Amino acid sequence: MKSLIMAALLALGLHAANKELVVYNWSEYLPESVLEDFEKESGIKVRYSTYDSNEAMYAKIKTAGGESYDIVVPSTYFVNKMSREGLLAKIDKSKLKNYANLDPKLLGKPFDPKNDYSIPYLWGSTGMSYNAKALGEGAVSAWSDLWKKEYAGKLLLTDDLREVIGMALLSLGYSSNTTNPKEIEAAYTKLTTLIPNVKLFNSESPKGVYISEEVVVGMNFNGENYMANTEMPELRYVYPKEGVLVWVDSLVIPKGAKNIEAAHAFIDYLLRPEVAKTISEEIGYATPNMAAVKLLEPEVAANRIIYPTADDLTKSEFQLDVGEAITIYEKYWEKLKTGN
Amino acid sequence: MRLSRFARFSIALLFFWIVLFAFLPQIMVLIASLFSKGATSFIVFEPTVSNYTRLFDPIYLQIFVDSLVLAGVTTLLCLLIAFPFAAILARSPKAWRALLLVLVIIPFWTSSLVRTYALIALLKTKGLINAALLSLGLIEAPLELMYTQSAVFIGMVYTLLPFMILPLYAALEKIDPRLIEAASDLGAGFWSRLTRITIPLSLSGIIAGCMLVFLPALGMFYIPDLLGGAKNLIIGSFIRNQFLTFRDWPFGAAASMLLTFMMLMLVALYAYRERKAGA
Amino acid sequence: MRSIKTVYAFMIYVLLYLPIGVLILYSFNASKFSTEWKGFTLMWYEKLSSNDGLIEAALHSLNIALFSSLLATVIGTLGAVALYRYRFLGKRFLESMVYILIVSPEIVMGISLLMLFSAVQMPMGFWTLLIAHITLCVPFVIVTVASRLANFDQSVIEAAKDLGAEEFTLFYKIVLPMIAPSVIAGFLLSFTLSLDDVIISFFVTGPGYEILPLKIYSMVRVGVKPEINALCTIMFVLTIFVVLLSQFLLKEKK
Repeated sequence: MKSLIMAALLALGLHAANKELVVYNWSEYLPESVLEDFEKESGIKVRYSTYDSNEAMYAKIKTAGGESYDIVVPSTYFVNKMSREGLLAKIDKSKLKNYANLDPKLLGKPFDPKNDYSIPYLWGSTGMSYNAKALGEGAVSAWSDLWKKEYAGKLLLTDDLREVIGMALLSLGYSSNTTNPKEIEAAYTKLTTLIPNVKLFNSESPKGVYISEEVVVGMNFNGENYMANTEMPELRYVYPKEGVLVWVDSLVIPKGAKNIEAAHAFIDYLLRPEVAKTISEEIGYATPNMAAVKLLEPEVAANRIIYPTADDLTKSEFQLDVGEAITIYEKYWEKLKTGN
Repeated sequence: MRLSRFARFSIALLFFWIVLFAFLPQIMVLIASLFSKGATSFIVFEPTVSNYTRLFDPIYLQIFVDSLVLAGVTTLLCLLIAFPFAAILARSPKAWRALLLVLVIIPFWTSSLVRTYALIALLKTKGLINAALLSLGLIEAPLELMYTQSAVFIGMVYTLLPFMILPLYAALEKIDPRLIEAASDLGAGFWSRLTRITIPLSLSGIIAGCMLVFLPALGMFYIPDLLGGAKNLIIGSFIRNQFLTFRDWPFGAAASMLLTFMMLMLVALYAYRERKAGA
Repeated sequence: MRSIKTVYAFMIYVLLYLPIGVLILYSFNASKFSTEWKGFTLMWYEKLSSNDGLIEAALHSLNIALFSSLLATVIGTLGAVALYRYRFLGKRFLESMVYILIVSPEIVMGISLLMLFSAVQMPMGFWTLLIAHITLCVPFVIVTVASRLANFDQSVIEAAKDLGAEEFTLFYKIVLPMIAPSVIAGFLLSFTLSLDDVIISFFVTGPGYEILPLKIYSMVRVGVKPEINALCTIMFVLTIFVVLLSQFLLKEKK
């Protein structure tokens, strides 16, 4: 009953609006303990709300003008798209004492050249995984290896058109962000010959599929491979020769945020080395916080799956907004899936 | 005939709800489907019918047919499994009926995503079903169930089964058992009792159940994607992609309008035949 | 014949509960990421007990499901009876809208309701969720109740009417008892739909009111946590307990 009354009060907007921070993030993408410690220290109450894809989050923020969130965590090119459309507020870096902890290699990326709108939170890559027990060490080293005939029906691709077509583009030596229709078509044509190898498309939880040995090779996220290793040490993560796809989830403050002060305080709190370390360890993805990396167990910090070397990333590419060319991608994705 | 206060209240309540929360939103969807997509906004107010003409592409026809087949087969399987079951429930001792009915629905109060993951644990190559069959010596090599069409049907039927069982139960429970006894006394066999009494008298329930399974099955995408490996596009994910991934709301709205229109035609056709048969 | 029937019914129940059994089993599995068995543990229950966000979301979900299915059952039952018994302007229109509601994809419903609520500046939360879930459930109640009303024996109603019964008395004393099984079925379907809805809820809820299915679905980034299995197990055991208890109490009363 108490919760009912609470619910009614909340719905009527009678709750104390000051000193409350509304965070919009993926579920369980921020350890509960971090939130509690922040609340205790700052006296700011955090309200946590969740979404399951960037696209859904974007549609909601864009449509629901009246709703206000103070912190949102979009991935890579959504930062650029949202700032261009005036959905984001500028971040005042003078209020972030811990800004200097961030790795310069992950700042000033094309989706936000001056980091006016976004502060990196966690980052990772989409590369390849293979089962070394089933295929032998060093079985694959390039995207083009996925096309080998012996992998018929044993392959996993992510269920994301930009990633899959981007991978094919990279294997052909093009940019995964191309807007050239000819190049996209070539990637499609190449992908049609990959279909006999594909057992499934899955972006929800590739690690489970690899662990159960339904597939032995395919695309994967580095964090998923890292987590799978606790139960399946023989799963190897590969940074493909043609280049790996890199993404960053960033903290942003949407326009219309009610509590800009608290939002800055929260971002600064997350940038503390020990906090960033806790987050990275709990969630399983890499922190862009150099000071935090120094605090990590040496074997974690040296793990190439999570913290790749500069060599691993030589040809890496961030996913960028392709604008109207997305309709070309869409057309070929639909063709690929309907087998026409 | 002047309607009573109670009748007017009932009608007004439904009318109010439907107009406000179904009709009005549907009109907005219709309007959206007649405009264009903008680069930075979901809809720009340039009238066009191209969203509809674009739908007449063989790719979309293929998506539509695949979805119809999936929903149709799911409905049929649900009906075949649920009908005998609902009939048994409807004839169970009265004191037990409510409990038995509630027991049907309880498993479905657990998140469908969690249940789907449990299904994967059962169906996968090294999963529980294969382990059981192998240890019983019924098969020699594990069956490959996951990421096949069979897995999709298992998942769809499992998820939608209560939507068939409950309306069937409600319709079958109403049939007077003495009717069937009488027929039996008069020498009617099992089949003729079934086809001449039980089915005709529960037809409204059969149709209701088929509708409640078929229509939602058309829009479902999570289960087929997770169990079937997302190798085919079906209407549900197609429309969802238009709204989210490609941010082409007008096109998504047009697809939704066309789907709604076709289904409405189907229902109207049925109602028309019904009335003709009744006359 | 009798035993075949019992066996068939029993088999269906086993199949319906099999996945639930699996999830209960895995709530004690030490493996964090997969469905491989890695030994017995109570760790997930322990973790769950400190995860206030999840427990709160589960309570919110139950709240919404209970209220929306009750209200949807009232609106749907009265609506179905009205559509069946009375002739009035716009009846055809209402019938068509009911079918349109069932067929319109959830995302279309979610976004169009979001646009509607934003247009009137309604804050997203409990009330918007409640309205959206009622709208989702009403057609399911109507279709279920209407199927029971078909081939309904009108003579009983006419007789009662001749005896001077008021419309409401007629409904309450005669119609409702006759359609009761379908009303219960409609309520159960509504409760199920509301408890599991993700897509519509996503668009119409706000930061003040997180519900469980949304939380579960948005875990995709890091994978659905085993705590969810523990939570589902507890909810399942509680449900079964309540149902059996009420059955027992009802029996006692008789």
